[in-house]
Amino acid sequence: MSDHASPRVVFYPRSHQGIQKGVNQLAAVVRPTLGPCPRTVAVESTFRDKAPELLDSAGVITRRIIQLPERDADVGAMLLRHVLWRVHDEVGDGTATAAVLFQTVYNHGLKYIAAGGNAIQLRRYLEAGMQDILDELDRMTVRLEGQEQLTRLAESLCYDPSLAKLLGEMFDIVGEYGQVDIRIGYGRQLERQYVEGMYWSSGVLSPRMFTDQVKLRADLTNAALLISDLEIDDPRQFMPVIDTIMERQIQTFVIVAEKLSDNVITFLLSASRDPERLQIVATRTPGSGAIEQMVAMEDLAILTGGRPLIKAAGNTLRQFKIAHLGHARRVWADGSYLGIIGGKGDPRMLRRQIASLRAAYKTASEPQQRASLQQRIGKFMGGSATLLVGGSTDSETNVREEQARKTSTLLRAALHEGVLPGGGLALLACRNRLRQRLETSACLDEQTAYRILIRALEEPLRTIATNAGHDAAAVMAQVSQAAPGWGLDARSGEIVDMAESGIYDVAAAQKAAIRGAVSGAATALTVDTVIHKRNPEAVTGRP
Amino acid sequence: MMIAEQHTTMTDATPANIAELPDDIVNALAVSPRFARDSVCFAARNSGLYRSDDAGQSWQFAYRSLLLDAPLTTTAVVVSPEFDTDHTVFAGAHGGVLRSLDGGATWQITMLPSPPPLVTSLAISPNFANDGVVFAGTLEDGVFRSDNRGSSWAAWNFGLLDLNVLSMAISPTFERDEMLFAGTGSGLFRSTNGGRAWREVDLPVEFTAMLSLAIASVDDNASMVFAGTEDHGLLASDNGGRAWRRLGEDVLQDAVNSIVPAPRFSASPDMLVLLSDMLVLSRDAGESWAVCLLDDGDAPGIAAVAAPLGLGPGAPLLVGLIDGGVLRQSL
Repeated sequence: MSDHASPRVVFYPRSHQGIQKGVNQLAAVVRPTLGPCPRTVAVESTFRDKAPELLDSAGVITRRIIQLPERDADVGAMLLRHVLWRVHDEVGDGTATAAVLFQTVYNHGLKYIAAGGNAIQLRRYLEAGMQDILDELDRMTVRLEGQEQLTRLAESLCYDPSLAKLLGEMFDIVGEYGQVDIRIGYGRQLERQYVEGMYWSSGVLSPRMFTDQVKLRADLTNAALLISDLEIDDPRQFMPVIDTIMERQIQTFVIVAEKLSDNVITFLLSASRDPERLQIVATRTPGSGAIEQMVAMEDLAILTGGRPLIKAAGNTLRQFKIAHLGHARRVWADGSYLGIIGGKGDPRMLRRQIASLRAAYKTASEPQQRASLQQRIGKFMGGSATLLVGGSTDSETNVREEQARKTSTLLRAALHEGVLPGGGLALLACRNRLRQRLETSACLDEQTAYRILIRALEEPLRTIATNAGHDAAAVMAQVSQAAPGWGLDARSGEIVDMAESGIYDVAAAQKAAIRGAVSGAATALTVDTVIHKRNPEAVTGRP
Repeated sequence: MMIAEQHTTMTDATPANIAELPDDIVNALAVSPRFARDSVCFAARNSGLYRSDDAGQSWQFAYRSLLLDAPLTTTAVVVSPEFDTDHTVFAGAHGGVLRSLDGGATWQITMLPSPPPLVTSLAISPNFANDGVVFAGTLEDGVFRSDNRGSSWAAWNFGLLDLNVLSMAISPTFERDEMLFAGTGSGLFRSTNGGRAWREVDLPVEFTAMLSLAIASVDDNASMVFAGTEDHGLLASDNGGRAWRRLGEDVLQDAVNSIVPAPRFSASPDMLVLLSDMLVLSRDAGESWAVCLLDDGDAPGIAAVAAPLGLGPGAPLLVGLIDGGVLRQSL
């Protein structure tokens, strides 16, 4: 039976030693990836015939590490891994920074506790110091504006000038909530497209309704829209609706419905056999599932000024009135999408809806919920951008696509929450505030907490310098003597004005790293006892 | 005080069917940047576009070469900043933009995407000679941008949450700051990337129609932005639209239809504003206002105004009327 099989209780000091070992092992794995000159980490494939994965993203590496062989060390590694996951999920970056911060706080904290320090008090003061650091980062945060600044940030994130140029342009246009799709392209180059208006996953219910049978697409102008999630089987239900439409001399009619029977579609096609008089296109209600459909109908209604007929509310076509119709300058639909350009809804209602979605976005904690809200706001902004990523080989294309996604996520975060001087300089600058606290404190636990944090705040810059092949001690000395705002350009090895050189860090990522690392390490320092449960997988001999 | 000199009508060389339009309002006026030398100006009317080569004393129908069989209502007109060398004029109509490269003698029409929108305003880059950028604001379809001197147009409406554009104004330092404003039926939007994306401007009043906009250059790096609203008077911003204050609250309570700031605003902070039925003038950056009476007391309502040589005492004014006439006056 392996070490992982039996239940066991581990007490201090062995518990601390084990946890420390695991923290150090995992931190050592991701440490080389910090900064603009990252080293790669080779992760062995589970399949013998496949080459190891070469990774330089701490977030991805962390996901690959499932378990350490020593159980005590594994607990430490998993504590750190959980923190890194959270940071990665929250902002998509800052993982390696969080790892070196966590490691430094934990190792130095452990020394103090071993010398008789109070772990609970230390945790309290570490968390108080963390708040000081976050406040200081808030103070240093600046907003980015304009294509040039965005491009420079993108370049400092992805080190790919052509990708950075396009992403800078795209985000300058679509803004912080705008929809940016990143897809694999067909060529070798990067290309971008802008789509006017907004579109939903949907699709025309019958190919016979395409106005362009070659492109398999329907393009309509000055359209009236009936928005619903109804399922209609009987064509007779539609007769009064079509009569009303014709009475009102509406020439272009779009029906959004969950399902229409073949008979209904045949009836609608016959009603629109003279396209000069009436043209009808029916599309599927966007969204999968009742909630998504409800959200899509609400957004379509606000955009077009319509009132949806909702199955769950007991609505049927019998209740149809002309006021239910939404209107749009242009509507397009193909086999997969429904697009609206120039919805004629009330612009005031539209802005109120956007304001309420933005407020919801700011308070949403779940990444999925935030993504959904951001997508909805983006649709209302009137357009979307698509980046088509090409490359000479599949692997080059895939790596570039991943890089584009990551940079895109960080650019959005930068637009939301601003940026900080990069290269670890912002964290280093927070030391002054902690030093002031240190000078006025008479409590040993408090003083120790601030000393630990001051030391930890230096670690990202030291690591960046080392990873880039520079002497960390010499760099620290140079940066300490430099003017405020001047730091290490790791690629050139020179001390430069970080803002002038466009070397930024995304504020959201730095703050998430600080929050995750300090509170995670402070909590880990209070762990004295570890209980290993019986591991059924190990008993059965599975890895 | 303005002095009425002459009330001209636009029947010179005009096809009869066009001259007889009953509601031939002057929608817009535009003057040559070298007006003092060439005296060229244009009047956009419901019946079409008219050009004058003698500072508005006589007018010629500018669409003669188009051989129209019906009036082509012209709602906006702008003249190239390099008009004396490139002779370029743009005119906005229902469904398209017309461009002339010979001062209005011949025209090329570019249709905007169907359904045809009404062009309500045109704005031309101060650096047009080099960048070839020109904008068309439309009712219902937002802003179209051309970066090839008007040969083709594309809608750029990211963030423009109201596509009913009523007015536009372009920064005098557009070459550097790429800033322009679009006034819509329910608020004001600003672009800082040459009209490719828009962000709503926070105003002290919510959701008001922006009937008129103007930007005055204060110095090389600063400008004043003026926004005329339908029901909240005149607003001004001296920091690119980030903060606003209301001007002449006691006097300017009407809809502000047009704003004409002095070209050198920092030296002489004069401003002429067209309210729904009168002109008012300020010579102290909007602190105090005086009504400018038309000496032709029988003149019908005012629809447009242009100050070809600034707003100094005695400077000429062109006042477009709702009956299609243009008054030539002096301040």
